[in-house]
Amino acid sequence: MFTGRLITAAVSLAVATFSATAFAAPHKEPLVTYEWVQKNLDNPKVRIIEVSVDPGVYERGHIPGAVNVSWHTDLVNKVSRDIAGREDFEKLVQKAGIDKDTTIVLYGDNNNWFAAWGAWLFHVHGLGEQVRLLDGGRKIWELKQLPLSTKTEEVKATDFKLPEGKPELRARLADVVAFAEGKSDIHVIDIRSADEYNGKIFAPEGSKELSVRAGHVPGAVNVTWSKAVNTEDGTFKSAEDLKKLYAEVGVDGSKPIITYCRIGERSSHTWYLLTQILGYDVKNYDGSWTEYGNSVGVPVANNAGTVWLGK
Amino acid sequence: MPRSIGIPLALAILAGLAITALTLDGGKIGKSLVLGALFGIVLQRSRFCFLCHTRDFLTQGDARGVAAILLALAVGTLGYHVILTAWLPDPASGRLPPDAHVGPAGPVLVIAAFAFGIGMAVSGSCISGHLYRLGEGSPTAPFALIGTLAGFGLGFLTWNTLYIWSIATAPVVWLPAHLGYAGWLALQLAALAGLAALLAYLAKAPPEQEQAAPVEPTPLRHALRRILVDRWPATVGGAAVGVLAAVAYFQVQPLGVTAALGSTSRTLLAQGGLLPETLHGLDGFAGCRTALVSGLSPNGAFVIGLVLASFAAALLAGQFTPSRPTLDQAVRGIAGGVLLGWGAMTAIGCTVGTLLSGTIAGAASGWIFLFASFAGVLATLRLLPGR
Repeated sequence: MFTGRLITAAVSLAVATFSATAFAAPHKEPLVTYEWVQKNLDNPKVRIIEVSVDPGVYERGHIPGAVNVSWHTDLVNKVSRDIAGREDFEKLVQKAGIDKDTTIVLYGDNNNWFAAWGAWLFHVHGLGEQVRLLDGGRKIWELKQLPLSTKTEEVKATDFKLPEGKPELRARLADVVAFAEGKSDIHVIDIRSADEYNGKIFAPEGSKELSVRAGHVPGAVNVTWSKAVNTEDGTFKSAEDLKKLYAEVGVDGSKPIITYCRIGERSSHTWYLLTQILGYDVKNYDGSWTEYGNSVGVPVANNAGTVWLGK
Repeated sequence: MPRSIGIPLALAILAGLAITALTLDGGKIGKSLVLGALFGIVLQRSRFCFLCHTRDFLTQGDARGVAAILLALAVGTLGYHVILTAWLPDPASGRLPPDAHVGPAGPVLVIAAFAFGIGMAVSGSCISGHLYRLGEGSPTAPFALIGTLAGFGLGFLTWNTLYIWSIATAPVVWLPAHLGYAGWLALQLAALAGLAALLAYLAKAPPEQEQAAPVEPTPLRHALRRILVDRWPATVGGAAVGVLAAVAYFQVQPLGVTAALGSTSRTLLAQGGLLPETLHGLDGFAGCRTALVSGLSPNGAFVIGLVLASFAAALLAGQFTPSRPTLDQAVRGIAGGVLLGWGAMTAIGCTVGTLLSGTIAGAASGWIFLFASFAGVLATLRLLPGR
């Protein structure tokens, strides 16, 4: 009886040791593949977090062990328009069971839009070194028909303290206005659709008009976010292709860059690839067009010449 | 329709539904089509109908149907409890379960559900009942559904006023957030059991079997007759509805039959420029909300599956009996339908979307709909002659 238990204990110890070494070493790359995630599902030092746009997506099936983060409530200040503050974000991180040696893997629906936004927020709050994106997000996980779990995971909270933040990764209205007025030698990339950039429409289909002016920041170049992904599986294009894509519009990383979109989340997708894959110096402007396009007295370029009629 | 045509036609419809669902494998549309078809078959075979069950009880003292509704609520509650506890382990977190039909619970809901109750009693059925009866060739159902579309239009026109008056500040009460899952489950099942006991006390002995079922020559034919032709026991229908409600929530979205109808109405009105510029707060509520649609929505597929499968089930049972509508039926259908549509739009769902899917999700709005629509039915049956 006792021997039996001893053998069981020894075997489980051996298995534990073996599986601990079988886990891949913490990933230093900005992206992890679905294969890597599969191998690390049980790795206690890896925390997978889903940030999806649509509610109910996580609950009906997520990567086993993944924690749910809601961008509507967890990642923003619910009263004033702002990103989640340090205190709230620290609580969120603790509740998600994140510690200083945890590798954080984010993924989500809609080509990782909000997962990338979450990743930017982790960077702003000083956790950039620990954050990765699952390349392809939910799209590739579903495409490969990998297992999904419907259990909401309960994780042990930590008492982790946030390291010093990096507020410099965030562009503010003044930074963008300075560029528009020719006072700042940087590149600005508008990652919305060409129709939004050119001012033909005020908001993309399915979104409410939230700006009373259409068009773009004068001098900004337009590279729609979707040009950076492989449409079939949602993964990022190769670093070489990406480099070429932005070089075509004159953005080669020689100057600091600001990315923006409508509300700052799709531009995080571009921010992520420019900083993490290409290593450029980029700030994300989360106020984006819904702040800039409503600001009084700032220069606007509207190629289509649409006039706002109050409707 | 002669059965030599009816049976092959029914089989062709069911095969068509199955093939369509298979080609849409895995998607929400395909799943909704199957769920709608199963729901339609259950409704048609067990004659599960909120109004008829209530009327049987009120006019004849036959409580079997109402008991089936209570059973559906109990089974659905147990199913939802399993799902909710897995999806949202801490009910007091301040979040609501995703997509669950937990709506604003205030005076507007009471008025809307009461109006819906009157609409049911006048038109002879609730919306899901009219949908499955469309498949039986009911002379009233088409008028009631046209009335419902118009009623939705009225609902859109009055929405903003009602929203500002009360809906905006009406509490959205999710019972597990206040009682915990265990407390909610215990209380809800106790309440349903209490209602069942009251029912047993008030019920009269069920009337004699309408007709003795003919004896079939072989056991197989007998079994087939029991499944395909004879009315299923009300309790089977109730339990099946409860199971389907939970499965639908898990797989696609909570059961509901009005989102697609309402969206059709909203889209038509918007195209005609008759819709208010904005409908305050509407798109922010969970429930059978309506959206401007371009293609087929999961709820649209659900309704199509429901109507086609109940049609097939009625054909197999020899219960597809279309008849020329009388003026009375048309008037009752339209008038009742308008109230059904207005009530369902304003309450963000009907007997299925708000009463069933709300109550079993732990929404106070579900219980309010239950009592207020019952009051509407009761009042109408008492006051309206010839009902």
